[in-house]
Amino acid sequence: MTKATLAPHAAPKAPARRQPLASRRYTLEIRQQMSMPRQALVLGLAVLAGLAISGLILVAAGVPAGELFNEFIVTTLFDLQSLQAVLFQAAPLIMIGLAASIAFRARFWNLGLEGQMIWGAIGATAVSLHEIGPPALRLPLMAIAALAGGLLWALGPALLKLRLGVNEIISTLMLNYIASNFLLHLVYGAWKDPKDSFPYSPQFRSFERLPEFFGSSGMAVLLALLAMALAWWFVQASRAGLYLRFVNASPRVADAVGVPVRAIILGTVLGSGALAGLGGFLIAAGQEGRLTQAFYQGYGFSGILIAFLARNHPVAAAVVAALVATLFVAGRNLQVFYQIPFSMVQLIQAIVVMCVAASDFFIRHRLRRVAAD
Amino acid sequence: MELLTHWIGSIPDFAVPYALAALGLILAERSGVLSLGAEGLMLVGALAAIGAQLAFGATGVALVLAMAAASLVSVLFAVLVVWLRINQVIAGLALVFFCQGLTSLVGTLMGWTNQPVTSAGPIPLGPLAQLPVLGRLLSQNAVVYLTPLIFWAVVHYLQHTGSGLRLRAVGENPQAADAAGIPVAAYRFAAVVAGAALVGLAGAYISLLSTKLWIAGMTGGRGWIAVGLVIFARWSPWKALAGALLFGCIEALIPQLAAAGVQLPQYFVLMTPYVFTLGVMVWVALGRRRLDGEPGALGEPYVREERR
Repeated sequence: MTKATLAPHAAPKAPARRQPLASRRYTLEIRQQMSMPRQALVLGLAVLAGLAISGLILVAAGVPAGELFNEFIVTTLFDLQSLQAVLFQAAPLIMIGLAASIAFRARFWNLGLEGQMIWGAIGATAVSLHEIGPPALRLPLMAIAALAGGLLWALGPALLKLRLGVNEIISTLMLNYIASNFLLHLVYGAWKDPKDSFPYSPQFRSFERLPEFFGSSGMAVLLALLAMALAWWFVQASRAGLYLRFVNASPRVADAVGVPVRAIILGTVLGSGALAGLGGFLIAAGQEGRLTQAFYQGYGFSGILIAFLARNHPVAAAVVAALVATLFVAGRNLQVFYQIPFSMVQLIQAIVVMCVAASDFFIRHRLRRVAAD
Repeated sequence: MELLTHWIGSIPDFAVPYALAALGLILAERSGVLSLGAEGLMLVGALAAIGAQLAFGATGVALVLAMAAASLVSVLFAVLVVWLRINQVIAGLALVFFCQGLTSLVGTLMGWTNQPVTSAGPIPLGPLAQLPVLGRLLSQNAVVYLTPLIFWAVVHYLQHTGSGLRLRAVGENPQAADAAGIPVAAYRFAAVVAGAALVGLAGAYISLLSTKLWIAGMTGGRGWIAVGLVIFARWSPWKALAGALLFGCIEALIPQLAAAGVQLPQYFVLMTPYVFTLGVMVWVALGRRRLDGEPGALGEPYVREERR
């Protein structure tokens, strides 16, 4: 692909005539800019390509080809109960997507979203179990505890990275495994519901669960949209958000012009952890009504995917999160009707990420034919 | 005494997967490609080994097929990061989740989950296997005996061959390597695929030779620990082997303590490898030793057309 630049200068000049395809030379160029509509087109095509590949895999796994569209679009979105389920699923995914987006803006690979969710849910459950505060204040207290739990679990890797240069990819992942084992320790041990033998905490009381608001998921969605608005304000309008752009573009230059780089990174990562903790709260207090053993599974990667597809933009993250929620619900339907394991959802997400990442190549480069020399 | 014998004897079962996975990662990362996909490739190796063992019943064939399967999947990663030059962290993460989803799906659809297999047993080293404490250590499966040889071969390749020198040059400074006429993309592609074979072998060891069955997600973060181990070893194969042995000693101790009747809270015990990995990373960072060994261009896509 780069042969042209190495073309021997001593080669005799070929007469100007149409060459056969194989000997035409192409060179790869860096594209300076691509218009927004064309970028969107490339992105859309990449997502479609990813979904098409996933569709082929599903057909190979035994889902009738004609049913795919039905399964994914009609059953999932045009059925009131399913639509409720999508909204239900979207709320925590928005939180997680926002958490990933702002951390990635600070150039911090926060892969510890699942651990931070777990500690958020543990914090909320602790408030419920120990009956802290009067009933009227219980739910806000649980949310604050969840926020603190996620924030504190993100504090360790953030400080380790800033102070000692410890690779945050490994540290946050290790902390996920530690948190998930601690969760099992709680739900199989001290926090186990004495009423039955399943590994989960006792049910929250009614005032410890998110109240009804336009259906069971309305409150969770409202909170998630509030978080989105806050994140949008933070990255687009606040002073810290402006600094964050400097840090994102080049930490060294930002430092040189007097931006408090470390404080910005630390604050952003803590905010990311807090959002992930709130995501855990939305699942514990909004969906499950208790602390369960595996509620967090799959959210970590979905958060990364959402941030990646949304280019770390909060509003776009909420939109992508809603789409991923649709995928989750469709995946559960597939599980029920066709015995396709839920890991298929993970596979589809990974394929879409790969396709979109690959499409970046065509946004950033172009193939240009060079005239024969 | 019994405890000591069993402990020492079971160290290789825990250490060899770490060692082989770390070696595969070092091979790829020395060429400048940040390989975060180890966790996924280990799963592919683990599943392929069980599938091949169930189909052909020959351990050697199963191991080779597991290595081939991991290499095949890594071609996808290599295309993304070497040819299409996409972000290596994103590509690595996507690879892990791709493999997790794929192996879980294939394992379920083929009915390979929880199917016990019988693989080749240990080969006692003649009279040495009768030694008191070390006896069990000297009666291991063939892969354990091969591991030091594989390490020697990779170190020899990297340090004492022209091709190995070029591979390291590509990882240190691809611009200079390119100017010297070394095909950067070809070296990186080959390093990723060859490294993946070793990572796949590590996964196959876990499923085929250690637990002798397949469960979805059975590697349980060992691939990530191997990534941490490579950083701890500063990209040196022998240090990685030493680190893997250290991790193996600690992990092998846990079941022995439980067998000896030491009461430990189960889930805290399960945390140990992760806590230990984290501790080691902090310790290395605290040491403030000269942090050398990291390939200069690690994680940077090489784009000839881009001026730096």
